[in-house]
Order: sequence, then C-alpha cells, then structure tokens
Amino acid sequence: MSETGTIGEALIAQGISRRSLLKYTGYLASILALPPMASRAMADALASAKRQSVIWLSFQECTGCTESLTRSFNPTIEDMIFNLISLDYQETLMASAGTAAEGAMQAARTANKGKYVLVVDGSVSTGAGGVYSTNAGKSNLETLKEVAADAMAVLSVGTCAAFGGIPMAKPNPTGAVPVSEIITDKPVINISGCPPIPEAIAGTVAYIITFGKLPDLDHLNRPKAFFGDSIHDRCYRRPFYDKGQFAKSFDDEGARNGWCLYEVGCKGPVTYNACATLKWNGGVSFPIQSGHGCLGCSEPGFWDRGGFYKPLSAAVMGNREIIGGAAVAGVAAGAASVALARKRRAAALAAQAAASAAVVTQEKTP
Amino acid sequence: MNGDVGRTGMAQSILREISLALSVLAATGTRDAIDLRSLPLTLADREELEAALGRGDVGVVLEAAGKSEIWETRFTGVWWLRHFGGDGRVAAEVIEVTPVPDILSAHPEDISAAATRMAAELEEREHV
Repeated sequence: MSETGTIGEALIAQGISRRSLLKYTGYLASILALPPMASRAMADALASAKRQSVIWLSFQECTGCTESLTRSFNPTIEDMIFNLISLDYQETLMASAGTAAEGAMQAARTANKGKYVLVVDGSVSTGAGGVYSTNAGKSNLETLKEVAADAMAVLSVGTCAAFGGIPMAKPNPTGAVPVSEIITDKPVINISGCPPIPEAIAGTVAYIITFGKLPDLDHLNRPKAFFGDSIHDRCYRRPFYDKGQFAKSFDDEGARNGWCLYEVGCKGPVTYNACATLKWNGGVSFPIQSGHGCLGCSEPGFWDRGGFYKPLSAAVMGNREIIGGAAVAGVAAGAASVALARKRRAAALAAQAAASAAVVTQEKTP
Repeated sequence: MNGDVGRTGMAQSILREISLALSVLAATGTRDAIDLRSLPLTLADREELEAALGRGDVGVVLEAAGKSEIWETRFTGVWWLRHFGGDGRVAAEVIEVTPVPDILSAHPEDISAAATRMAAELEEREHV
C-alpha cells in the first residue's frame, strides 16, 4: 500500500541520507540531460513529495522489461528509484497471490484514484474478445480498461506495449495491439525497446515524481531525453560511416577494424534510442560495440521489416525518405517542431504499412 | 567512453569552461557544474583533463548509494565528483565549481535524525 509520508521521511526512517538522494538526483539530471546544477532542487522536490503509487500490469510479454529494470541486485545508485515509488501491484515481484494480490491492487486504486501511474508491459490481445491472454478471470483487455480509468497516466514499457512488438508480428494470431490503441482518453507515454533501457524506465518515472508533470515527448510519444537522437547520431562508429568505411560481412577486414555496420543491416540511422550513450549491462557495451548492427527494436513493426541483415539501402524499412534524411542530414534535429514531428510520425507509420505490404507481396511471389 | 580515437580537443574546451566558471565563482560566488558523462570524451581526452586539473588538498571516499570518489583539484574551488554504480563502473561524473560540493555537507534533516538517534542510544545504555 502507498505510504502517507514524504519520500524524505521514508528515507530517514530507512537510514538513507540526503547525500544518497543528492547523488541520485545528480545521476538523474545526467541521464535526463538536465543542467547538473538542477540536482539540488530536484533532491529538495523529491524529499517533500509523496511516494508515487505505481500499478504494473503484465500482458502479452516475456518479462524481459521487468528483468531490465530489476537487473541489479546490489544497493546502488540505480536502485534508488525503488525508494521513490510505492510499487503496489506487480505480479512477478509481489509476494502475495490470488485474492490477496487482487485486493492489494483494488486498495491502491481506491486510495490513489486519479493519481497512480499505470505501467504496462506487453501488448493487448483483442482477438476473440481478448481470451488469448487472461489473468484473475479477466481478459487483459478488460483489466487494462478498468485500471487505466483511474490512472494519472499510462507508461507503455517495452516495444510490445508501445507498438505491439513481437506478439503483433505477422500473422498476429491473437489480434495484439499496443496500449495506445485501447487507451485514448489519457496520456500514454511509450518507453520502447526490446527490452527498454532501465534508465529510461526509471528516469521517466522519477521525472514525473520530481516535476509533477510528464516529460517532453517525441512524435511517437517517447520521452525526448532518451529517444531524441538516433543510434546513428550517437554511434562511436559514425566517423567510419562519414568516411565511407563499411564492413561488408561479419568476418571481413572492415568488421575486424570496427568499421560501420550499415551494409550488414544496421538499423541505427532510423532507430531512436539511447543505447549508444547509456549502453547495456551496466554501461559495458551495446550491440554495435559488440560487433552486431542495431535491430531497430525501439521502432514500430521492427520484427516485420524485411530482414535484420539487409542494409537500409535495400529499403527493408520501407521508406526511402527516412533513410535519405538520416543518411544525408546525419545529426537529427532533436527538438523537432510540431510540424516536423507530425511529418515523422506519418512517415514512420507509412513506413510500417509499406514494409508490411512489401513483405506480403514477397510472400505471395512464387 | 570510447578510448580508441585519441585526443579530440574536448579537454581544452572543458578547461576553458572551468576557467571561466572559476573566475565567476571568485567574483560573484555563483556556483557551476559540468556533467562529463554527457560529453563525447575519449579516454585520451579524459586523461588529458584529469592530468591538467591534478589533485589538491582534499580527497574523499563517500559511501552513499554506492561508492563515490570526490577530490578537489589543484585549482581551489574546482572539484571532481566520480560516482560509481553497480559493478564498479562510473554511473555519473561531474566537475563542480564551488567552495564545497553539496553532497559533502550534512543535511539539516539528517542532523536532526542523527541527534534523535544518538540521544535514544545513550538513553538505552543507561538502562543496560
């Protein structure tokens, strides 16, 4: 259940000093691209805020998103997020089960009506009335509508919840759709990725608690702080792209020299995420640094876009306008105008439709 | 951090920014900070910056939500703060231009809590 005291009081009760909070807000300011001097004001704001009630629902998913957030087991700076929130319902993590668990969610919903954040991972099955994915005697579709009704905002965590992901891949037997197709009357923030970067999940929640508002979003409703730049823009192999030095296969001289992976299928130029800066496994590496191209997992329809190992110039992503823009312009305009955002959104959705159509045509061709 | 590219000139740019911030601190008392993690520094850039700033009078190891190393550089008022996350990697790294970094000062609420706790412990001892 949510506690009535402030975060500051809860930290003192647990013997966690303000220094820890200040350290965490410094870390947050860095990953949210805020001025470093903002960390003190953020710490003061957080100390006087109430812990944010969070209800987390898992639908058609693999639990990779939860693993991403809870990966670290040591008491570290990244774990501070769990001191800021009251995680009132999370089926994978909670000790209770059955009626007790459902009762806990109901109590949290009543106590925090209109104030809780609903986190969803996994897509929503709509086929045959949603019977392909059920829990506690209800379809996910029914549960989502019911729980979202009293939420302040919905966070669609992972590409399945944000864009349908792998459950929605052809032939989509369960009629899977993203959360935003069901919930249309309140803010839905997409934190895409398969899985999403843990800092993007925690950072977005922390931003909402600290500033009491939603962060700036891109054309696909993703926080700009994490999705404002393409992988290509921030890739350390970018100088090789600019010089025209490409690996032609995964074992040639170019690959051994660490040249650009564009010609072996890297989707970095059309993929917006923070992998190249925040990286994975505690900042150790990210796919391109490990010698594999970006799969584009944080973009809509990434699974159905024709082939992970075909270069973008083969138009596998289905839209030459995006490719040309990314390749020629290089650095994307992070703070795009509303008009540009709309255009990109339309282009991204058109690319998804075109790619799906192309794949269908390809399949029909003998 | 990608260490295979060599020096890029970024360290020189940061040093000039620090120099300006230090002049402002001396003249007006206004503090400033530079987030190193957000800058595309190569390993060589980082080594150049660290060597140029050097180490001064104060060095601190802080244990709060993980380990931190904090030291004043050889330029008084210029502090290097390196916060470690899980597995000993650098989670955040900032240069603060300030008389003393906020994180080193004891917070009033922590002092109050410590005073209460200490008084309670002494009272408990009296009853043993």
